[in-house]
Amino acid sequence: MPYLSQLLNNKIKDSGEEVAGRLADILIAPQLGIYAPIKFLMIKQRSQKKDILIPYEYVETLGQKTVTLKTLTASIPTQDAAASDLIYLRRQVMDQQLVDISGARVVRVNDVRLGMFEGQMSILGIDVSLKGLLRRLGFEWLDFGNVWKTNLIDWRETQPVKGFLRLNIISKDLKKLHPADLANIVEDLSLKQGSRLVNFLDAKQAAQVLEEINPDLQKILIKNLGPKRVNKVLAQMSPDEMTDLLKSLPRKEAELFLQKIKDVSAQKVDKLIKYPDNTAGGLMTLDFMSARPNWTVAKTILEIKKTSPSLHYLLYVYVTDNNGYFYGAISLRWLLISPSEIKIKKLLKKYPTYSLLRPNQRIPEIVNMMTKYNLFTAAVVDKKNKLLGMVGVDDVMRCLAPNA
Amino acid sequence: MKLKMPPKLNHLWLSFLFFFSVVGPGIISANADNDAGGITTYSIIGAHYGTKLLWVLLLITISLAITQEMGVRMGLVTHQGLGGIIRGNFGVRWTMLAMIGMLAANIGTIAAEFAGVAAALGIGGLSKYYTIPLTVLLVWLILYKGSFKITQKIFLIFSTFYIVYIINGFLVGPDFNQAFKDMLTPTIEGNMPFMLAMIALIGTTITPWGQFFIQSYVVDKGLDIKHYKVGKIEVYLGAFITNIVSFFIIISTAATLYKHGIPIIDAGDAARALEPLAGQLAQGLFAFGLFAASMLGAFILPTATAYAICEAFGWEAGFNTNWKEAPFFYSIILLCLIIPALIVLLPKISLVKIMIWSQDINGILLPLILIFVMKLINDKRVMGEYTNKLWGNVIAWATIGGIIAATLALVVFSVLGYNS
Repeated sequence: MPYLSQLLNNKIKDSGEEVAGRLADILIAPQLGIYAPIKFLMIKQRSQKKDILIPYEYVETLGQKTVTLKTLTASIPTQDAAASDLIYLRRQVMDQQLVDISGARVVRVNDVRLGMFEGQMSILGIDVSLKGLLRRLGFEWLDFGNVWKTNLIDWRETQPVKGFLRLNIISKDLKKLHPADLANIVEDLSLKQGSRLVNFLDAKQAAQVLEEINPDLQKILIKNLGPKRVNKVLAQMSPDEMTDLLKSLPRKEAELFLQKIKDVSAQKVDKLIKYPDNTAGGLMTLDFMSARPNWTVAKTILEIKKTSPSLHYLLYVYVTDNNGYFYGAISLRWLLISPSEIKIKKLLKKYPTYSLLRPNQRIPEIVNMMTKYNLFTAAVVDKKNKLLGMVGVDDVMRCLAPNA
Repeated sequence: MKLKMPPKLNHLWLSFLFFFSVVGPGIISANADNDAGGITTYSIIGAHYGTKLLWVLLLITISLAITQEMGVRMGLVTHQGLGGIIRGNFGVRWTMLAMIGMLAANIGTIAAEFAGVAAALGIGGLSKYYTIPLTVLLVWLILYKGSFKITQKIFLIFSTFYIVYIINGFLVGPDFNQAFKDMLTPTIEGNMPFMLAMIALIGTTITPWGQFFIQSYVVDKGLDIKHYKVGKIEVYLGAFITNIVSFFIIISTAATLYKHGIPIIDAGDAARALEPLAGQLAQGLFAFGLFAASMLGAFILPTATAYAICEAFGWEAGFNTNWKEAPFFYSIILLCLIIPALIVLLPKISLVKIMIWSQDINGILLPLILIFVMKLINDKRVMGEYTNKLWGNVIAWATIGGIIAATLALVVFSVLGYNS
């Protein structure tokens, strides 16, 4: 169970007892939530200027005293450069800064703990203790009484924020994280670190993450982003999310933002912002798929293909006339199994009468209605039966379990 | 959003404010250069060598501007202090070496500050055996319980007393022709005291701690590379202003003490250089200035030392913590107060010699720190597109080479026994 400091600069011998070089670095493929296995050893050869990479499959033992290879050096397919998503433990982890979320402070990586995990040599933890420092200095014998404890941070825990270790790692890995997970991380971090993280994301990602964050924090983060970036981020949000966000801001500031976003989405937000939060009007989204009664199934599917990228989800197609008056709804499934030349209005007749929401209906009523009819989405119409928007099951769920 | 001011009206005022929000690092760091060690060294240079060493002062003004600018740039790009950057790039062992070097130089400088306090209050007839323990206690209490920032500002204002040297410099009627001639004609004497004086002159102007201080200051203020232009101007200005003061201290003592062949043995001698301006009050004025300058250093240096070491080793630091949370931080500060105090309290030790020798230690250790700075500032992985330009490198390496050469010459002369 070695530490990185004990391995670096060790001689590496191949199966013919020939010295292949000295260990210069170790590369891992980072993945969230797991002890990342070692992928390559970087070897410094005396004769060559450039260091070479040996795939870890060819390593027999990786120990404090010796590192041995399974075959002769010549028969190993070595590489000069590694894929960019790999991490160099010596260069990019050792001695760098690390944000310890539990303590909300910055510590230095004094050493890296390696070991077998599920049959693979992997990175297990990060040593931030004084003892690690002594080990690096070669003064470990000073601690003969074992007074100092080794303080290891589990590698899996460090993973989500290891970007603070090196910012360029964060960018790659954060993209793989779901916005909701990222939002959870941001909520866990201190305000300063959280804003830094949000600032680091591209506008679209930042928008997605902000949508998932609790309103109080959202408000503060928005302020920390600065007006320029806020506009960019807001532009990436769907109108209903933008509305939620603007509602959390003081009225004057919200209006200022609205003035700046002078496009279609701002008009949509204007429509949404007048309904209270806990009503169908406040919950609804304006991004839904609508069709005309005299379209054929084929045309409808074609239209869906065009519109789909801008939609959050698509379970029903809502049918309205040219003025937006509600005709009925048709499920995607029904649409798919119907003959393509048939007109939509014909299908509607076969479909049971639909239950609709009014914008001022409150959460309990919405929940009742949607549960009763097993609806994933429900249309919201005004008194004259004009289609206003659509409430999705996830919007309702968020109201019921706000902290998830 | 909140700032909805008419842009034209406030433009000038804003840019003025902006300048002074960035200003600070260069001017404070440069101003604190004229501390106890600084005043004493410049006084002795002037009293013992007249204006002969002004050429060195001219060269190191340029070096100071260049090296401080590098510190600012590195802070702006990396958002880390010098200690942290060294650690991140050179590993534990080299960091240890750099930190020990810095600690040794800083303990020397703090000893000089305490010697300055003792000498200043000694002019008033107070014994160092009372004043030094009290000073240590005062500094510790203010750092631990009080406000570091306010105290720093107070002493910074006090230290504007240097202006008296500029006024005095004109009153003594110095030989400006000779001064400018000496500034442009390098002269070197081949003996130990001369080399010691020269190294002290360099070591009091460009300091290891100054390099650490300016970088953390920039980082602490949260400045970014977009502030680079203003920061650069400010640093150059700081280097220029501080050495104008140094110039006048040297010509003041040259025109008074050197002219009459009076060597500086204690602080009272150095104070006599101010007599043309202040007459009877010269001693009191000098004592006040020396005290303020020494106290400023006595506050800044232990703090800067502790910050740099804690950053390098990843230990908790800062005055918003208590002893339990940041034991290393407070221990280092305490160590940086007690050891220098004990040195100054040694019976029969010459306060003036502490002040000048500590500057020699600084000068000798400076290349160590500067080499780290040079390696980092030319590393693309650290600095990206902001690595050094050719001229910066030439001047910085010339400075490093110059100090090393002078140190080697010092060693050779001391072995050969060229003592005068």
